[in-house]
Amino acid sequence: MKNIFAVAGVVIKELYRRKDFYVLFIITVLICLVMASVNIFNDPKIARYLKEICLLLVWISSLVIAITTTARQIPAERENRTLLPLLAKPLTRPQLIFGKFFGCWFACGLALLCFYIFFGALAAAREHQWPLLDYFQAAVMHWFMLGIVVAMTLLGSLVFAAPSSNSTICFVIIGGILFVGRHLDQVATSMHEPLRAIVNALYFTIPHLEFYDLRDLIIHNWPLIEWKYIVLALLYATAYIFAFLLGACLVFRRKPVN
Amino acid sequence: MTAILQTQKLRVEYRSREMRQGIKVALLGLDLEVRAGEVFGFLGPNGAGKTTTMNVLLGFVPPTSGAASLFGIDVRQPIARQRIGYLPELTYYYKFLTAEELLRFYAKIFGLARGETDKRIAELLKLVELEHAAKRPIKSYSKGMQQRVGLAQALINNPDLLILDEPTSGLDPLGRMKVREIIQRLKHDGKTVFFSSHELGEVETVCDRVAIIHQGELKAIGGVHEITGKHASLEKAFLEIIGFNSSTAP
Amino acid sequence: MNSPRIIFLLLLALLVFCFGLAAQLSPQFQSWRGSRSGGDIFNVVLGDSRRMFAQSFYVKADAYYHSGYYPTMFDNKEAFQTQHMAEDTGAVNSNNHGDEESFLGPKRNWIDAFGRHFFPDRHTHLDEGGPTDDLSGSENVREILPWLKLSADLDPDNPQTYTVTAYWLRERMHKVAEADVFLHEGLRNNPDSYDILFELGRLYDESYHDTARARNVWEEAVRKWMKLDADAQSDNKLVFEQITTHLAQLEENAGNLPRAIDWLHAAQKVSLTPDVLQKRIDDIQKKMAALIPVAPAKLY
Repeated sequence: MKNIFAVAGVVIKELYRRKDFYVLFIITVLICLVMASVNIFNDPKIARYLKEICLLLVWISSLVIAITTTARQIPAERENRTLLPLLAKPLTRPQLIFGKFFGCWFACGLALLCFYIFFGALAAAREHQWPLLDYFQAAVMHWFMLGIVVAMTLLGSLVFAAPSSNSTICFVIIGGILFVGRHLDQVATSMHEPLRAIVNALYFTIPHLEFYDLRDLIIHNWPLIEWKYIVLALLYATAYIFAFLLGACLVFRRKPVN
Repeated sequence: MTAILQTQKLRVEYRSREMRQGIKVALLGLDLEVRAGEVFGFLGPNGAGKTTTMNVLLGFVPPTSGAASLFGIDVRQPIARQRIGYLPELTYYYKFLTAEELLRFYAKIFGLARGETDKRIAELLKLVELEHAAKRPIKSYSKGMQQRVGLAQALINNPDLLILDEPTSGLDPLGRMKVREIIQRLKHDGKTVFFSSHELGEVETVCDRVAIIHQGELKAIGGVHEITGKHASLEKAFLEIIGFNSSTAP
Repeated sequence: MNSPRIIFLLLLALLVFCFGLAAQLSPQFQSWRGSRSGGDIFNVVLGDSRRMFAQSFYVKADAYYHSGYYPTMFDNKEAFQTQHMAEDTGAVNSNNHGDEESFLGPKRNWIDAFGRHFFPDRHTHLDEGGPTDDLSGSENVREILPWLKLSADLDPDNPQTYTVTAYWLRERMHKVAEADVFLHEGLRNNPDSYDILFELGRLYDESYHDTARARNVWEEAVRKWMKLDADAQSDNKLVFEQITTHLAQLEENAGNLPRAIDWLHAAQKVSLTPDVLQKRIDDIQKKMAALIPVAPAKLY
């Protein structure tokens, strides 16, 4: 475990020493503050549109951070040749994969924490309430969704050599799942065989990231989700995370490092 | 003296990426033995198989047949790498870290205790003359400084065997001299150093024994004076061994 | 050419040329039909495609009215054929048939069943207290207003956005002045809109109790409607009926009973329920029987 956390530590340092997070955070804050300053029919209590815009920016930023940070990890190690001294030490390839995963995931978690604190402050400034448990549910679900994204991107970075192509493919897949994943089975009904079977199989195979999008619930102040469903969703995410990481270990096992 | 690095009938083949080239043989039954406490020079022209040999020794590339061991342990076992230090050629270390943070990271992988790590980092930074730049990010380092950081990371676990892949490549004369000094100091401390280089003069200066490899085959192995033999220099001997004829050269 | 002085002079000459050309071209560019320079930021950035986004934001407002419970393009949208907020204002005919509760349909599989725990899955309305159903949240409709305003900004030529927004501002938020300003903005952008004039008349009548101004704008609305061609009139009968029945009510309240009857007769021509209107006419005629008859005036 110490090796995994040593590798993760370097990834976390990389995130907070690069400008990406700060740029995205500042853009989010600026856009939200500008939107908050707009006078809408002299009613300062209007809050939900602001929550929606803020959460949309948080989601976009978190996906950008997760995908771009993860996509460059292994390719950068290869390109800079730091993979060689690393693997020449008593560090196994699975440890490296898991270390990179935990590093990216924890780094995304830290970024999310900052974003959600800002979101909470912004919402509280308008609504004068702190539904902390609701925000906690949303943030934890969001974080686990990012776990799936990070694991998927890590696997992609071993399959596609160029970080840019991997990032683009991951963005398309993740965007596709978030937008139509829930409806793939309905889409399949209008198709002919064998396409129908393929789309149906896809529906049951893909990780349903839309489970983790609780934005509508917290924007519109819906009651808390029962914790048992949250736990089940987190287990579902964990299963996919491990599946992708095992896939990554399998691909990386025999891959030449130089 | 005991052999701490050994290869037996080591053969490595790989599928060539170029079209219709099929299988390419990188190593052809290499038998090598490096003894404890010696500085061993591993020579050969480009594409001779030096880096492939090192990659097998470090577990990066699995051998097609034959065996390789470090301290008697099969190189495929991660534990075999516990007592080695490795400096690859032309590495650009994590530029967002400082030299101190980089060394601390590698120390963690070796499981060094915090106190021991602090002491070791201070020693190594002094050895590679980077104390003044220890807290500066690596991105601000010159090429020579980066190579010295690389050398420090290779020594973080106080290894018994050092594998250096062209350690002076791309360095200016001053940088080369500093690296050479460090190797000699390590030799003085009783460390075993196995390194590849194109700088034959340098090899002649620091090595006890050398091996010359060409087209995946071991062509010669022995003491520097043995190999040089009747030739005026190691360079001349090297050229003759690899079959280079200056009159037919372009 | 190497002399810095020559380079400086050349730069100066180029700048003079550029400014001169810009001054020459600017008026032509301003008067060019395709120019975006005169519009707001949406016009500059999006051009005419902004109307597409306007519709999306209008739908977004309706989704907000349902606290996020809204069909996607993959769901059964029959249930939500008409935007609920527009229907509530009476601005459009209702095409909802009471099956809005079930656009999600029965649970299709375990993924669908499980997924329904993570998004709004109950039909509620903001002015009924939203998801907590405590019937105390009339003012919650304020949350739909930003999207309606944005929709109006993106497509200022859609009168419905102005009338719907003004309705919610006036009826639930009690922001009569804001509704008045917004309707006038809509009228500036759509000077021939009988819809906006009708809503403006309601505001004068119901909020300011200024019947004279209400009468004026409603009569103006009727004149605008009469200018429509036959097809357009046929498609917009409801609003004509609403205007004329409101005018009838206004005249009845003012004691101008024959005029009220005339407006009701006009409404009867387009109404789907002429019998109901006939009953109102009969009632007024009964009232008139007790009064001195008045000669009918020209309506429009």
